[in-house]
Amino acid sequence: MSELIAKLKSEIKRLFDEDVVDVVIAFKKADSPLRPQPAFYRKGDSLEDLEYNSLCQNNLANYLTRYPHETRIGIVVRGCESRSVNALVVEKQHPRENLFKIGIPCQGIVDLRKIVKQTGEDVSGYKEDQEKISVVFKNKEYQFDRKDVLHDSCLRCVHPNPVNPDVLLGDPLPEGDPGVLRQAVESFEALTKQERYTWFQQEAERCIRCYACREACPMCYCTECFVDHNPPRWTESTISPAGTQAWHIIRAFHQTGRCTSCGACERACPMDIKMTYLTDKLNEDMLNQYDFAPGMDDTTQPPFASFNLDDKNRFVA
Amino acid sequence: MMYILEKKKLNKILSTWAQEHEVFVPQKVEEYSQFLPYTEDSELALKSPHNTRYPPKALFLPQSEVMLKFNNRTQKYEEVNTTPKSRLVFGVRPCDAKAFRLLDTVFDAEDYADPYWKAKRDATILIGIGCEVPPSTCFCTTVGGGPFNQDGLDAILTELEGSYLVQILTEKAETLFASLSPATIEQEKQVEAIQTKAHDSMSPAFETDGLKQKLDQIFESSYWDKISESCLGCGICTFLCPTCFCFDIVDEVQRKERVRNWDTCMFRIYSQEASGHNPRPTRRERTRQRLMHKYSYWLDHIDEIGCTGCGRCVRYCPVGLDIRAMLRTANTHESEAVHA
Ligand code: SF4
Ligand code: SF4
Ligand code: SF4
Ligand code: SF4
Repeated sequence: MSELIAKLKSEIKRLFDEDVVDVVIAFKKADSPLRPQPAFYRKGDSLEDLEYNSLCQNNLANYLTRYPHETRIGIVVRGCESRSVNALVVEKQHPRENLFKIGIPCQGIVDLRKIVKQTGEDVSGYKEDQEKISVVFKNKEYQFDRKDVLHDSCLRCVHPNPVNPDVLLGDPLPEGDPGVLRQAVESFEALTKQERYTWFQQEAERCIRCYACREACPMCYCTECFVDHNPPRWTESTISPAGTQAWHIIRAFHQTGRCTSCGACERACPMDIKMTYLTDKLNEDMLNQYDFAPGMDDTTQPPFASFNLDDKNRFVA
Repeated sequence: MMYILEKKKLNKILSTWAQEHEVFVPQKVEEYSQFLPYTEDSELALKSPHNTRYPPKALFLPQSEVMLKFNNRTQKYEEVNTTPKSRLVFGVRPCDAKAFRLLDTVFDAEDYADPYWKAKRDATILIGIGCEVPPSTCFCTTVGGGPFNQDGLDAILTELEGSYLVQILTEKAETLFASLSPATIEQEKQVEAIQTKAHDSMSPAFETDGLKQKLDQIFESSYWDKISESCLGCGICTFLCPTCFCFDIVDEVQRKERVRNWDTCMFRIYSQEASGHNPRPTRRERTRQRLMHKYSYWLDHIDEIGCTGCGRCVRYCPVGLDIRAMLRTANTHESEAVHA
């Protein structure tokens, strides 16, 4: 990791020295070794606290839409982040020429909740290499196989390598197995209709409508989300099965062909609610029916956002 | 008075109480914990080093609370019954109990008492449990509390080997434990040592002296741009916070109800006005409101900090923003000329 961080620092320094970018979005160390934070560097800032490891939980593409189009943004991207950036470029949220993507092949994000479940909460130290993750809890070291503590979305990741980065730091990794991506969707589909509904209810109805899933998602950048619209109100804001289910279903639908399966929504949720099974299923439909996967280039419109005059299907009934 | 409650008798005493009161205990849900009604099969989550993730303020200020119903036939509003059955909340942590007392100054003030809040508060007995090994994310002692603080509680438990020592703090709890055997002097001493040790294990997280003045001074400074830069603007820190109490009243027309829902200053629409103008247009102003409310405006109102150091916002912020670090930065922020 330290080698990679050194490379990252020198690349960022170069970008500022050669006046390529105005700001670089990356991660920095925080007080707790377990919680690296999104960081925003500008020319002249010290890069001393720059961090990169498998604990970096957030999808940095989320911050892209906060800048005016003129801002030249450098951004550290892993596989999913690079695809989110592409999807945002397609949706004209930032011009490609004002972006510099610093790509890092991604070994997956570690899910802290999986670790503390086995150790206890107040983990103090952290180390990682290719295979192993180790933490210190109450002066004792605990070691885990990386695959046992990766976030579920990362276990299912198909494209860990950044797509069309401007520079790639580190060696490309083998692509993931689409079969694994299928598994979660498959086990959901294997349930009966009633079981599926019960599962959905159990997940959705714990929701406290904090909208962290929305705010953590790069593709949820609407100035006004449908749940915030007033009047008319599209959903109840009251915590009720109807309002909460509507929130979960519509949020997922709005991601169709746009979600890059990064899992940032699930990692942000304070109520441990599962939601990627919905978006992954929608993405699977996109792939099967339209041969489209979000963010694999920065020009192709997602099927539901595009139209053409030769469309073989009639438009509205 | 101090009693010894043997752990193996805990379920029995809870079921006895449950005959008369509605009893709430912390229970595990997925990987988090929450106060839920006690039943014989309840799996108690008392072992955690800290409070429940979902805050017990919801027992008094539910996330959604029906205030009135509209009757279509009579074309009239109907009151809903606000008086609950007598309640007993078992296993409250001191930071959360203190928060109830702080919130009483909002919902049960001299000039106005909120009937919904007050009815539930009056009907409730709070049995606390102290935190023997406070985790690094908690900082109650920094803000005037402590892992065994008695503020707001009717009784407090300290865990011993195989039992709990119960300290009775108010009349409300007096009779609840009367059937138990009293603690020995030795046990009392042991508990005192445990409590002191827990308290002393927590070092100050930031300087509170002069912090309010400092925050007031840097109200217009670039400090807020820096600390809010990574904030997502979600509702986690405030919804889970035991002292955040903002709400929004809506008419759920289809269900013919007027409902009070939690709201938060971290949401854009919270301060959005009907004209379209938003006096807190960005996360900078919203983050500022959150911190200023807790560390300045509460002091203006009741001369107490409106944060009990419960650590929830620190633990669950999805971008790892830590209010303690923010306040340390505020303390060292050079006052600068007011920027335009
Ligand atoms: S919906 Fe979730 S998994 Fe999909 S892009 Fe958004 S944050 Fe990532
Ligand atoms: S983050 Fe979780 S609790 Fe919050 S709105 Fe999303 S699903 Fe609901
Ligand atoms: S929980 Fe964190 S990201 Fe969400 S509003 Fe609070 S400080 Fe911002
Ligand atoms: S501001 Fe944070 S630490 Fe303070 S009471 Fe609220 S949630 Fe707890």
